[in-house]
Amino acid sequence: MSVARRRFLQIGVGGMFGAVAGKTVLVVATDARWLECAGGTVAKRIEDGAPAVLVRVGNDEKDAWELTREEAAWRNRTEAEAAAKLLGIGSVIPLGYQSSELQAVPHTTIRDRLILLIRRYRPATLIIPNPHAEHDRNLDSYYVGAAAEDAWHCARFPNFLPAANAEGLKPFVVPEVYYYAPPLDPRRREPESTATFVPQPVRVDISASFAKKLRAAQAMRTYQRNLAMRLKERLTAQGRRLPLLDQVTDASVDKLVEENLRGLGVLCAEGSEYKMAEEFRHAGISYGIPSKYLR
Amino acid sequence: MCRYLLLAIAALSVLAQSPPRFPLGELPPGKVLLVAQPHHDDHTTDYGMGGVIARFMEAGYKGYYVRASNDEKDGSHSYGQNDIINLKETRDGVAVLGMSDVISLNWRNDFMNPIPLNELREQLIFLIRKYRPDVVLGHNPWEHYQKNPDHRNVARALVEAYWMAGLDTVHPEHFLLGVKPHAAAHFYGKGRLDWGLGQISNMAFELNESQVAKKERAIAAHRNVYHNPSVKRSVQVQLAAEGKYLPEFESVSDDGASDLYLHWWMNWNSRDIGRQAGVKYAEDLYHMDDLYHLPGLKAYVKANARELR
Repeated sequence: MSVARRRFLQIGVGGMFGAVAGKTVLVVATDARWLECAGGTVAKRIEDGAPAVLVRVGNDEKDAWELTREEAAWRNRTEAEAAAKLLGIGSVIPLGYQSSELQAVPHTTIRDRLILLIRRYRPATLIIPNPHAEHDRNLDSYYVGAAAEDAWHCARFPNFLPAANAEGLKPFVVPEVYYYAPPLDPRRREPESTATFVPQPVRVDISASFAKKLRAAQAMRTYQRNLAMRLKERLTAQGRRLPLLDQVTDASVDKLVEENLRGLGVLCAEGSEYKMAEEFRHAGISYGIPSKYLR
Repeated sequence: MCRYLLLAIAALSVLAQSPPRFPLGELPPGKVLLVAQPHHDDHTTDYGMGGVIARFMEAGYKGYYVRASNDEKDGSHSYGQNDIINLKETRDGVAVLGMSDVISLNWRNDFMNPIPLNELREQLIFLIRKYRPDVVLGHNPWEHYQKNPDHRNVARALVEAYWMAGLDTVHPEHFLLGVKPHAAAHFYGKGRLDWGLGQISNMAFELNESQVAKKERAIAAHRNVYHNPSVKRSVQVQLAAEGKYLPEFESVSDDGASDLYLHWWMNWNSRDIGRQAGVKYAEDLYHMDDLYHLPGLKAYVKANARELR
């Protein structure tokens, strides 16, 4: 075995042994998108005993109907924390960047903050936006996903953030990563060319945790009301209406959120044995260590 | 032997029955089309959207072309001369397609990787609010393997501008200039399928002979880059080395051979996509409508939406 390969395995296995059992760190760009894509999986993991930490990179200052950006940011933060609590997430760490302005933030600035958090929390699992998938018209998930993936890779090397290293935040390998993205790209379920070193498509059954996911999503009232009003606005522009939204009330917004999450759950479960699912790309142990070395 | 023949026939019949790669789309209702791309010729090259633009214009749309770069490196002249010539030829080309105007943003050609995308996005947001398009066309922002950084970055700025132009929390200072928030209903993105990687298109528009002809004339208008009289000698020399010749080139001038070459290129790619869409001519695109970002609600809206009273 070459020195390089031996070093590679030492880093990988060492990282796994140092992981806090089951702990999940979620890195998200915008609040509602991650809940839609991964909320059920996170709830399920927490119910199974894995604590979770949520890192909010964006401040969601633009996701509101007829509110100033300052008020939108404040309400969305408060509601995101309430939603996280409903799922059982222990800590919410806001990085506070202006949403939809992340192109102007250096990739390495976000990456280095995430490296610090990875070394601080030493998670067994990272859940991050998939920077290789489609996120329709909002690039925040792309920028955050790219920085988070880079942080995952770099957190293991002592020459990244050496000052933090000296302060006791040691290099660390997160053993597995789940990449999330909305179910948009028609080719999203195509398997990669090899099962080793390439994240593979996986689906998680969320039937049991759906109710919790729904309550958390409904708690994000500012975001969801904005979604309902903008949907109504677009349909009106096309000469159409949804009877549900003739009067936009808390109850009608809650019903719309339920329809949205049910629709997503069914869409992600299509072709599987599940009734409701979430889709990911998964970089697990075979991503870091070829199976022939694990025997 | 007979068994192999039967297998081959069965395989061919399956192939013959397989659905086209691209479903055909209908033009959405509307009045204004805004096409925003980095270069003078993008509306027609990269296997283009020239035929689709012509189809929109023939259906009564008014069209605007936003050239984001200055095209200073495209052509054999100096930077400034290339910029001026290419801008003129952009106007000539889009006029052939039936568009009304060209807005040039003049970002530096082939240096768009490090530009502040938020600044470019703001320009595009303002133009969307000013012209209020129903349909926005550009490159596909999710074609990650797009090799040209200008294409990739303008596409990323454009797809964000497409929805952010409708938000009153975004650049409210624009409203002092008399524009209002505007959300276009449809986005169509173009990708380069011949590179073989990245996201594929999800639909195609059928073209007729007239639209393909306009697409050919539009690219021919970009003479600074595409008029290449030496192509005749180049092809003749290469074929002669193999003991062959091209009869069509024997009876045309060098200039005529260049035009013929463009005709073949545009006609071939229109036929190639047409074949994959089950029609004679077509162009393929990635389509997002204004409910595209809500995949979980699509079925619900389809089942429950009613006409406005």
